[in-house]
Amino acid sequence: MQSFRLWGSGNNLSSWEQCYAVYMRILVVSLLLMTAGCSREPQSIDPERLELYTEIYAGADMTPAVQEKWARSCALCHAAGVGGAPRVGVKADWQARVDKGPGMLMVNTIDGINQMPPLGYCQDCGLDDFAAMIKFMIGDAG
Amino acid sequence: MITRRRLLASSLLPFVFAGGTKAAAASATQAPWLNWSGYLRAEPAGRVAPGSTEELAAWLAETSGKVRPVGSAHSFSPLVPTKGHLLVLDRLSGLDSLLAASSEAVFHAGTRLSDTGQPLWQAGQAMFNLPDIDRQTIAGALATSTHGTGARLQSLSGYVSGLELVTASGEILVLDAGHEFLPAAAVSLGALGVITKATFRNRTPFRVRTRTWVEETTTILDKFDQYSREWQHFEMMPLLHSDYALAIAHQETEAELQPPAEPDDDSLLTLIGATPVPLRGALINSLAQTVEPTESVQRSYEALTNVRMTRFNEMEYSVPADVGADCLLEVMRAVAENAVDVVIPLEYRIIDADDTWLSMFTGSPRVSISVHRLAGEDFNPLFNLVEPIFWKYGGRPHWGKWHSLGHSELRALYPKFDDFTRLRQELDPAGRLLNPHLAKLFGVEA
Repeated sequence: MQSFRLWGSGNNLSSWEQCYAVYMRILVVSLLLMTAGCSREPQSIDPERLELYTEIYAGADMTPAVQEKWARSCALCHAAGVGGAPRVGVKADWQARVDKGPGMLMVNTIDGINQMPPLGYCQDCGLDDFAAMIKFMIGDAG
Repeated sequence: MITRRRLLASSLLPFVFAGGTKAAAASATQAPWLNWSGYLRAEPAGRVAPGSTEELAAWLAETSGKVRPVGSAHSFSPLVPTKGHLLVLDRLSGLDSLLAASSEAVFHAGTRLSDTGQPLWQAGQAMFNLPDIDRQTIAGALATSTHGTGARLQSLSGYVSGLELVTASGEILVLDAGHEFLPAAAVSLGALGVITKATFRNRTPFRVRTRTWVEETTTILDKFDQYSREWQHFEMMPLLHSDYALAIAHQETEAELQPPAEPDDDSLLTLIGATPVPLRGALINSLAQTVEPTESVQRSYEALTNVRMTRFNEMEYSVPADVGADCLLEVMRAVAENAVDVVIPLEYRIIDADDTWLSMFTGSPRVSISVHRLAGEDFNPLFNLVEPIFWKYGGRPHWGKWHSLGHSELRALYPKFDDFTRLRQELDPAGRLLNPHLAKLFGVEA
């Protein structure tokens, strides 16, 4: 009988997720169907919300105070690309996301998407803070 | 009889609030608040992120209105949502001081667990045990008696030997080891005040050997006591709709570091991906027998905590250790008989007793059983199905995970619940720290 490993124990994944990987390998199709509703972007976004977020984004600037917030929240994943997070200033990581527009980038930051939790671990960030941090991370890709 | 005067007399620091309130960080445009899974949502009136205990105390003393402290938003129970102000602890972060002689360390309460391991290691200390998720703040983890696994190991709250707490009215209390109310504040749901510093009893740094393997669930249950004696940290993750579970064990070792292996990338994915769900059990049973064990050696804080990337909602109850196996099997039978289409494994851990007032493990060792649903899925059918089974076995809900219990049920589960309720009333008579969920738990008006 062929022997194979159904999960690895490294990759900084928790043992729970290693176990989860067993299912992932067995139930790819069904799991994709079940998770479709939680990992995709919402089908429709309130146009007023998008407009507000786009406006806030346009006027946002990185400041030392926002930089401090970034360092204790976004940086947890975006500095090294943990869990597939787009890395700071890496154009290839950001381009497809940038193409969705700044409003959608803001929506996904506030609501969370895929493995990124809502608010990206910044509990005291306002909308203007999120906008400034997104701009900073996108860098030249914007 | 607990009196406010008695508590304050024994713990109030002579802090002076003169000098005015230094404006805490606030944002110009408010964002909604959501928890980690995205299930809980609130529209707080504002957010305050104090940079020091004194700043927090002054702000609380000079303001009124509802407030709730928030850590890293990892709770699935509505401990945080408020229409008042959120008190964000992120700026109260880092190692404050070390007590080398007693192997203790004082951390600011907003420190994430992921930021404790390395500085402690460099200082010649390590926490005895750690929970699975490492993004939580110390304050949040203590508020909910967050735990790892180990028959001779307690929840994080069991290792607390001191706390600094700011009451709703802005008084700074220091509860040292031996203080009569430290066991109450060590698991307080953020209802007694805002925890700003925590002192932990630690040990010398250690490496752990981690071994994972797959074995029949009933076999692991039969050997659970043996495995729990042989391994300092032992847990199992039963694979629902199958006969097998993943066993995860950690043991202290002097061996050289051996990083975990990278996951295999095999083509099996494609072949089995198209298999219909009804064949799930047979497939898992078949595949489980081919799974190779894994081994690694890491520093304790690297091996015991993890970055959890898959978001979910969770229910967890802790039942007396001697009925844990029966409870687990009944949960698994209920899920199978009702054909609940859940893919995330259960989690079965053991935690030693502590003497805090509201820890799930106060008084006697318990096993915790966790059920999960992916974020975005409707968890009600699963949680509503299994929660009565937990009640049947005397289960206590994890404070940070979804449950439906209220005041009358909780009073019956905790010998010190009424004492805690009285202490809460003494410290926060106006109910400033209450939200609707906490009001339900403590049987008072929000």
